[in-house]
Amino acid sequence: MSVTEYDVIIIGAGVAGLTAGAFLAGRGFKVALVTSGEPTACLSTGCIDVCSRDHNPLIGIKELPLAHPFHLVPEKMIRESLDNFQTAMMDMGIPYTGAPEENRLVLSALGTFKTSCLVPSTMEAAPQNTKDSIHIISFAGLKDFYPSYIISRRKNTKFSIYDAGVSSTMGIASHFEEKEFLESFIVWLKGQNIDEDKIAFPAVLGLESAAEIVKTIANRVGKPVFEIPTIPPSMPGRRLFNALKDYFRKKSGDIYWAWPVVGIEKAGRLIEAVVTQSEGRPNSLNARAFILATGSFVGGGLTATREAIIENVFNLPVHVPGPRDTWFENDYFSFNHGIGRAGIIVDSSLRPAGTPMENIFVCGGILADTEILKNGCGHGLALATAHAAAQSCMEYIR
Amino acid sequence: MIFEHCIRCTVCVENCPVLRVNPDFPGPKQAGPDAQRFRSDREKAEDEWVLLCSQCKRCEMACPCGVEPAQIILKAQQRYGLEHPRTPAHLLFANNYYLSALGSLTAPLANRIAATKVGKKIFSAMGIATYIPFPKFRFRKLSWKKRTPNRRSRKVAFFYGCFINFYRPDIGRKIIQLLKSFNVDVVLPPQWCCGLPALGNGNLELARSFALKNTASLSNYIDAGYDILYSCTSCGLCLLHDYQGIMDIPKAKKIAENTYDLHEYILRLVDDNYIKPQFQEVRRKLAYHIPCHLRALGIGYPAAKLMSLIPGLECEILDDTCCGLSGSYGFKKSNESTSIQIGNRAVARIKKTGAGAIVADCGSCRMQLGGLSGIATLDPAEVISEALGITLVKKRKS
Repeated sequence: MSVTEYDVIIIGAGVAGLTAGAFLAGRGFKVALVTSGEPTACLSTGCIDVCSRDHNPLIGIKELPLAHPFHLVPEKMIRESLDNFQTAMMDMGIPYTGAPEENRLVLSALGTFKTSCLVPSTMEAAPQNTKDSIHIISFAGLKDFYPSYIISRRKNTKFSIYDAGVSSTMGIASHFEEKEFLESFIVWLKGQNIDEDKIAFPAVLGLESAAEIVKTIANRVGKPVFEIPTIPPSMPGRRLFNALKDYFRKKSGDIYWAWPVVGIEKAGRLIEAVVTQSEGRPNSLNARAFILATGSFVGGGLTATREAIIENVFNLPVHVPGPRDTWFENDYFSFNHGIGRAGIIVDSSLRPAGTPMENIFVCGGILADTEILKNGCGHGLALATAHAAAQSCMEYIR
Repeated sequence: MIFEHCIRCTVCVENCPVLRVNPDFPGPKQAGPDAQRFRSDREKAEDEWVLLCSQCKRCEMACPCGVEPAQIILKAQQRYGLEHPRTPAHLLFANNYYLSALGSLTAPLANRIAATKVGKKIFSAMGIATYIPFPKFRFRKLSWKKRTPNRRSRKVAFFYGCFINFYRPDIGRKIIQLLKSFNVDVVLPPQWCCGLPALGNGNLELARSFALKNTASLSNYIDAGYDILYSCTSCGLCLLHDYQGIMDIPKAKKIAENTYDLHEYILRLVDDNYIKPQFQEVRRKLAYHIPCHLRALGIGYPAAKLMSLIPGLECEILDDTCCGLSGSYGFKKSNESTSIQIGNRAVARIKKTGAGAIVADCGSCRMQLGGLSGIATLDPAEVISEALGITLVKKRKS
């Protein structure tokens, strides 16, 4: 009897890794997930961008360049992955609004619109036009959220400031979880006699029970209430991560924190184990298949050096978009930086190209040719490719 | 200490339990890598707020870039401790070992004094919080004695730690019995406090003197073919991480290479086919509070893995919450409110599970959570012993 041997090991605790893990664990496989830190999902807006190229994301996907990894996932599976996600998140208490055929708008902290597909219910009431009048409530001392930015871009917009007694995002969010605080806040809010159609907040309305808090405030003041995503620390991103993590655990997946993979053990065409250097001695975990979901550069999956781009776990061949001087455009804010296409090229079963290893599957942001910023396809691509990779992996180990 | 690797992503900030409830603490990013840029050897340390960090190390687990904010803060705490007069509470808790040894020798008297109003007033005057009952001293029952081991069986030297030794020797004896039932030879090597309380109270020098004595003693046993086991995860983290790190103890690497968590070791016995434990059914629902320092060890949750083999046992893993006590941190009047607020969050989460008892590897987590919730607490070794039908031969009244 071996208790530390797994069917599948997932590397990376982001949206892709946790989703692939839950998919397999939910089907009875023994799954472990290893990670060296928390994912970039924690820093995200929590919104599931599928494809922003068209009002209908599914049509937008069809228009993506041929090399885009979205084309490896059949439409039926894309729908399934989004549907499963919504069901899972509802189950975990953070419902998501939206449908795969229609993009929604989310008001940003700059007063611009962000296009997304599935959004947390706390952002559901965000205006879908420029006309709705909005009253923004911010908090005394809260850094990096300036209602004036939004007001400069929108007519019929006003703001008020509430003193929560603390000024950090985490501190305010924690306060909202306390009944007495919420109650006195609502009393204050009612006293403001707000005329505008909708009330907006920076996304600090709680951490564990944000959906409920937003609902409570909206009911009590009798107006639609919504959150505006902030720069990190991002509560909607953390809520998403926590929910995905709890869901994976609920499906009996094991998580190994503080477990950076520093080596692998292989035999012939198979990876047999991943190895970490814990405090005392190397520790290894064995499995029959491995899913690589370590993300791109910020996530830690890829490292760029002067000469090359390296994949950090299996040292897989990385697709490099031309010589280094073509990696970046002069315009910093351009969507066309060549580096956005760097990553791992995979075949139709999501196995990496150019390696003899047959039990590695790849999903999420580390894939090549995603151009996530340009195509507005971050978490949506992670969900879809996680399903595809998990499906292939399942067929392989069965 | 690679604070330059910090990309200011604030994932650590999202994980800090102190920041959530205490606005006086600027958080791991600012107290750690941010402030580090301004700390100079030529100026006196004025960052008193570093003492508000409880050293749970959740920031380090979360960091995707390998920065160790808690380690940076720990160094700042040592410096602050050196350059400023220490409070009575800091002095007492740094010398926790001697204090406890005295309390244990005079157990009935010490317990009675600690429970009286006058005793509590004295504690209070010294800056010691009394919101949860002070742990009860027991006569020290675990003695250092050598035995001639059986040649064919595995040999371990058990580093039981202060909590078991002075407060719960019954758990220590249960662990010894558990190991014996696995045909493992157990000895209790001469040992002192691991040094963590001294380190946590800004007394590196005292911590090192403990560490040097322990290293010398344990090293002899390693040479004689023993593996070292710990059951307290904070002792474990100190032996494995701090001896090599901040304490810079020669031979620390050797200790780390040969030291195992109790349940990690039992899992190895199972994997090596050395034992085939036959667990009896245990009809219980438990909430497994993961001590922050178990997370930080990077070995997964071995006790959870073992408990998952027990038929009928339902065990929900909770690793998002810190208990807030952090050894002697919460026992200081200045941290009392922070500690209680953090603890109450953990308790709320535990109560949601509807579990009949709380399991935690760490004695101080159990003290805090049991004290704040009124729910019974167990060491995982007690649960495993129960499932194997192991009871103490000589029962003592508690």
